[in-house]
Amino acid sequence: MANDLVLDTAIRDWVLVPLSLVMVLIGILRHFVSKFLRSTNTPDLKAIKESQLVVRARYLRGAANFIPEKAFKSRRHFYNNEENGLLHVPKSQAQNMQAQMFSDPNMAMDMMKKNLSMIVPQTLTFAWVNFFFSGFVAAKIPFPLTQRFRPMLQNGIDLSSVDVSYVSSRSWYFLNLFGLRGFFSLILGEENATDDTQKMMQMGGQMGGFGVDPSKTLSAEKDGLELVQHSWALPKLEEEAESILRDILST
Amino acid sequence: MANKSRNKNASEKSKTDGDDVSLYSAENIQHNMRTLYYSRTFLSIVGGIVAGILGLTGVSGFLFYFVIMMATSAAVALKAGFKIGMYFDSLNRVTLDGLTAGLMSFVLFWTLAYDIVHIF
Repeated sequence: MANDLVLDTAIRDWVLVPLSLVMVLIGILRHFVSKFLRSTNTPDLKAIKESQLVVRARYLRGAANFIPEKAFKSRRHFYNNEENGLLHVPKSQAQNMQAQMFSDPNMAMDMMKKNLSMIVPQTLTFAWVNFFFSGFVAAKIPFPLTQRFRPMLQNGIDLSSVDVSYVSSRSWYFLNLFGLRGFFSLILGEENATDDTQKMMQMGGQMGGFGVDPSKTLSAEKDGLELVQHSWALPKLEEEAESILRDILST
Repeated sequence: MANKSRNKNASEKSKTDGDDVSLYSAENIQHNMRTLYYSRTFLSIVGGIVAGILGLTGVSGFLFYFVIMMATSAAVALKAGFKIGMYFDSLNRVTLDGLTAGLMSFVLFWTLAYDIVHIF
C-alpha cells in the first residue's frame, strides 16, 4: 500500500495494550463490586412457595403424556379444584398481594444498585479514554472495510484520507467493549455482571415480576393446566416391559 | 482443553417401538449448550490470537475462523460419539449456534495480536 501509516511502538506500549488491559481489569472489578453490592435478601416464604408451585404445575403440564390418564387427572384436580386447589386463588387475596408487592422497596433498590454498577464504570472508562487518548490512531484491523465503517472505526479522527482499516483509540474502546464479552464469560463464569445484554433481559424479567402480581401467573398456569389434552405417550410400554423382563428371566 | 466439552450429563432419550417419542431433560440440554458456548468462545479467542500472530489478513482470517469453528463442531461430534441426537436437540445446535457470538471476540483478539506483532 502506498499510504501505509507508520505507527510508533510507543502507541502500542502506552495506548493499545494498556487500554485493553484496563478494560479487562475494570470488567473484573465491576464483577466483584456488583457481587459485593448484591444484597442477600431473605426471600419471602410465601413468594417462594408460589413460584415453586408454578414450577411444579409446569412440570406436570410438560410431562403430562408420560403418566397415565388417571394419574394426570387426579394431579390436575389437586392443583385446580375450586375449593382448595393449590392454584386456585380467592379474589380478595389477589388484591392484597399486589399492594404488598408495591410496598416492597427492596426490589427497586436492588435494581438501582445493579444499574449503577453497570453504568458508572462504563462512563468513567469512556471519559478516561476520551481524555487521555483522543485522536490516536491506535490500531489497524487486518481486513479491508468500506467507507461506511469510517464513523464506526475512526470515531474522533476527522481525516477522510486515512485508510478505513485504521482504528482510532476511542473506537478501539468500543471494539473492546463488545469483543471482551465472551472473554469475561470465560473467566468470570456465566453470571457475570459485564454481560449487558443478558442484564437487560433479566431486568425485563424482574420488571415483569415487579409489576404483575403472582396470583395472575397462578391463574394463568391453572388455565394452561386445564387446557392440556392428555394423550398417553407410551402405549407400548407394558409390552416392552414384558419383553425386557422375559429376556432377563430367560438369561 | 476447553474444546473437549463434557457431555457426561447426557440428556435422556428414550425410544419406544411404536411411536418415536424423544425425551429431553431441559437442564441437561442447557448444560451441554453452555459447555459448547464456552468451548466456542475459548477457541475463538485462541484462534484470533493465532490468526493475528500468523499475520492473516482479509478473507483468509475469516476463513480461518470458520475452519476453527467447523473443527470445534467436528470435535464436539467426535466427543459425542457422532450421536448428536443424544446430547442436543438438533444438529444445528452443534454446527451453527454461537457462530456470530464468537466472531466479535475473534476479531478483537485477531486485531490485537496482529497489531502487536505486525503493525508496530
